[in-house]
Amino acid sequence: MEDIMRIGRVYKRFKNTVWIEVKKAKFEKLLKELKSFDARISSISGYDNGNIIEIIYHFDVNGKLINVKLRVEKDVYVINSITKLFPGAELFERELMEMFGIEIKNHPDPRNLFLDERLSPKNPLRKKIGDNNVR
Amino acid sequence: MIIMSGKSLKRCYSLPIGPQHPAFPEAENLEVKVDGETIVDVVVNVGYLHRGIEKAMEERNYIRSLYLSERICGICNFVHTTTYCSLVENLLDIEIPERAMYIRTIALELERLQSHMLWAGIAGYELGFDTLFHYIWRDREFILDAIELLGGKRVNYGLNTIGGVRRDMSEDVKNKIGKILKYIEKRFKYYIKVFTTDITILRRTEGIGILEKKDAIKYCIVGPTARASGVDYDIRRIDPYMAYNMVDFNIITDNGCDIQARVKVRLLEALESISIIKQCLKDIKKGDIRIKVPFIVPENEAISRSEAPRGEIVYYGRSNGTDKPERIKIRTPTYINLLSIKPMLVDENLADLPIIVMSIDPCFSCTDRITIIDVKSGKREILGEQEFRKRVDGKNDY
Repeated sequence: MEDIMRIGRVYKRFKNTVWIEVKKAKFEKLLKELKSFDARISSISGYDNGNIIEIIYHFDVNGKLINVKLRVEKDVYVINSITKLFPGAELFERELMEMFGIEIKNHPDPRNLFLDERLSPKNPLRKKIGDNNVR
Repeated sequence: MIIMSGKSLKRCYSLPIGPQHPAFPEAENLEVKVDGETIVDVVVNVGYLHRGIEKAMEERNYIRSLYLSERICGICNFVHTTTYCSLVENLLDIEIPERAMYIRTIALELERLQSHMLWAGIAGYELGFDTLFHYIWRDREFILDAIELLGGKRVNYGLNTIGGVRRDMSEDVKNKIGKILKYIEKRFKYYIKVFTTDITILRRTEGIGILEKKDAIKYCIVGPTARASGVDYDIRRIDPYMAYNMVDFNIITDNGCDIQARVKVRLLEALESISIIKQCLKDIKKGDIRIKVPFIVPENEAISRSEAPRGEIVYYGRSNGTDKPERIKIRTPTYINLLSIKPMLVDENLADLPIIVMSIDPCFSCTDRITIIDVKSGKREILGEQEFRKRVDGKNDY
């Protein structure tokens, strides 16, 4: 378990959760380490933070939550799908693609999950001028 | 159309089921490819209840978002509000009083009881056993009476707030809930006998809709669906919250992997819930029921989860120093359990489809869109309401 903490940088610990920030180059290595501990993917969340989008992978290792944060530049960087190692992540990645407009390679079924292609707005969870706290 | 299945080419017919279908109480769309009466492939389309709740929560302050999270689901609304309140309490880093934890636990277990009873009745209805459906729903009314005594309403409890609960539980309410539970326990033992020994139910549920343990682990399935395939995982035991580390209870698992195993797991879990409520009613002590919390939440990031009647609910949240949340992400249990429909349905009979899909206890909702599949060309077209009316009626003055 300590090897996982060393690959990324632990920036917060709270009760039963650990929050790790990891660089893109070391992300694959971290995934393989987590798979060797029989981790289960619990959820994948996204957040629009100005020029970058933060993607947080929530893994569950025997009851302890390990949250891995990855920062991705908007419309520049293309990330790999994790469905080869964790097949349960299929629906979460579809939702990320349609809500934030992130491009994910090697996904087995890259169509919209909730939104309609013609009638719904595009990328609704990105921040636009006129939203709550955006000037 | 012709598709590859196994080693042979099969000539199949594509059958869209839903979103409006008399066999399902809620709306979902399954594109089922059948060869005679055997199902060969299935694709699940969701999105019929997408209301944009996560975006709406960013524009409402924390109390109004609490009321919005209560309306996500009608059957499991208390666990949504409990997880939301735990999330905000983690963002603020405060502890709620012990009496509030016990009252929340009692309401959570009452909700699990009524949800499993609702499911058992609908399972009886899908099997064609209407009498069982009516008997179980009659007895469910007593649990809704108990919930009304505790919270004031039958469906959306309105009991939770950030920092505790809003209504206290008097001695009179405690005694009445105890009497209701005695009657419900007797009835549950009778229903367990019916579901596990009646010959027709056994013929329709044993050996059907199999989800093996390796598939349950591979697709990250949660809840009683996974526990019926031998995966021993329950948030109340592994990551205890509220008063669950102060009571004794068993986690029910079964190695059957079929529909009969899921029936047994849910009904035996309901008996454990009754025992948890009785222990809580005995152990609860006097004290405060809520503490005051500030309106402004400092910048922070947190996560909280609970065990709903259908599985694990996860709320991830972020705050930004104002009185409105910055981002809240909700993951409900049916979201991930959708991946288990395909392994369960392939190579089964078409007539068993309603009971197999209901056995994962799905919790979708509905909108007003229609999918038309042109079988010859395989093209899918989605029409809005106006276009559909134009095609059907030939009028365009709506």
